[in-house]
Amino acid sequence: MWQWFFRLGSPKWFYELSGRWLPWLYVAMTVLLSIGVIWALLFVPQDYQQGDTIRIMYVHVPVASISLACFPLMAVAGVITLVWKMKLADMVAMCAAPIGAWFTAVALATGAIWGQPIWGTWWAWDARLTSMLIQFFLLIGVIALRSAIESPDAAARACALLSIVGAINVPIIKYSVEWWNTLHQPASNFAMDNESPFGPEIWVPLVIMICAVYLFFVISLILSTRNEILVRERRSQWVVDLIAAQKPQGA
Amino acid sequence: MTALTGPQVSTFTAFRATLRRDLLIALKRRNDLLNPLMFFLIVVSLFPLGVSSDPQELTRIAAGTVWVSALLASMLSLDNLYRADYEDGSLEQLLLSPQPLYFLVLAKNIAHWLVSGLPVVLLAPLLAYMLYLPADAYWTLMLTLLLGTPVLSLFGSIGVALTVGLGSRGLILAVIVLPLTVPVLIIGAKAVADASLGLALGMHYSLLGALLALSLSLAPLASAAALKISVN
Repeated sequence: MWQWFFRLGSPKWFYELSGRWLPWLYVAMTVLLSIGVIWALLFVPQDYQQGDTIRIMYVHVPVASISLACFPLMAVAGVITLVWKMKLADMVAMCAAPIGAWFTAVALATGAIWGQPIWGTWWAWDARLTSMLIQFFLLIGVIALRSAIESPDAAARACALLSIVGAINVPIIKYSVEWWNTLHQPASNFAMDNESPFGPEIWVPLVIMICAVYLFFVISLILSTRNEILVRERRSQWVVDLIAAQKPQGA
Repeated sequence: MTALTGPQVSTFTAFRATLRRDLLIALKRRNDLLNPLMFFLIVVSLFPLGVSSDPQELTRIAAGTVWVSALLASMLSLDNLYRADYEDGSLEQLLLSPQPLYFLVLAKNIAHWLVSGLPVVLLAPLLAYMLYLPADAYWTLMLTLLLGTPVLSLFGSIGVALTVGLGSRGLILAVIVLPLTVPVLIIGAKAVADASLGLALGMHYSLLGALLALSLSLAPLASAAALKISVN
């Protein structure tokens, strides 16, 4: 059972495997994203209160849900880095931090754009907005620590530790902020039947968009990790061979 | 761990020796002791200058002001925690010691809190008076600071341990540690605000106590791991 796990730790193996996955992921993402965007923008009925602004939800909710998944991902990668000293886990964690920070920033921005017509303000010190903002600060802290430490090995372990500490703190921060103040609507329960305000014609496109944006996140992470693999392994033979093979003859 | 020679020392003795040593060093460096306190005093007195000298307005922001200033003062004093030990090499000796690092780090954190956190707690009523905090809230302010400032020291210790080997660490330390301290700030400031309104406080104390218990048991472990990463 452990064999595949340790093989996964080999950057070369991951590079080759992800190279085979990528075309399929591109196809899946393109299909889901086109269906989701067209459905959400053109065919979802207007909300009886919010009108067309409800369509912002189809960007905001997927992006926000992924930015919440980022810290747990980094913490798991951090545990793997500290326990098994797996280089690949650190590369994934390193690449996930800036992508996660961008997703958090986009979630905050789309939230502001949605909040302006609904609440009449771009920003409110509401529980979820605030905990998102603090999560953004935590991610910036991890990125700053990474760039401040020169030795890559020490940086890997320090960031792994900080990610774990951060991941333990994220729920505490979330609950304390929630307890402090709340204005944001509670997460809605989606039901299959039409009696719920959120019928299938609302949530099916949302689920499609969530899957599409998840795929986008995974693809970004894979591409950025592949880049990092090439940079860190640039002296190993397989990378040299790979680059040589891609160069046109005589160039 | 089998070939230890020389006199065996119990963990408790090592804990006490570390605590004693850190307290002694702190007492010999009066400036390091005084500066965070002066900083606390100055930051608090900047608020009336920047906001308003109107007693009613100051009463409203008093709880938050004292708490935020305590947080910043604790941040400023953190740099003393491992820096001198790192520079003179005694930190490496600490890491090489056969004693569990958890207790040694805990001793250093307690010493740090005694010289930087406790004075802030004791000075707080004076500043609260200057900000027209209602008299009912004084005890709550001191009690929440008493429960909350150790958490700040313990969390801060993780950040200092991670950055102790770096050249310019002041700002990065604040960027790492400040977001982690948000729950303490929220609960502490809200407890004081609620106390000045005469509301029930049991929940606030329980939550702060829970945070303190959690950070007492886990934060020194993280600090110890961070020290091992930073000192190679």
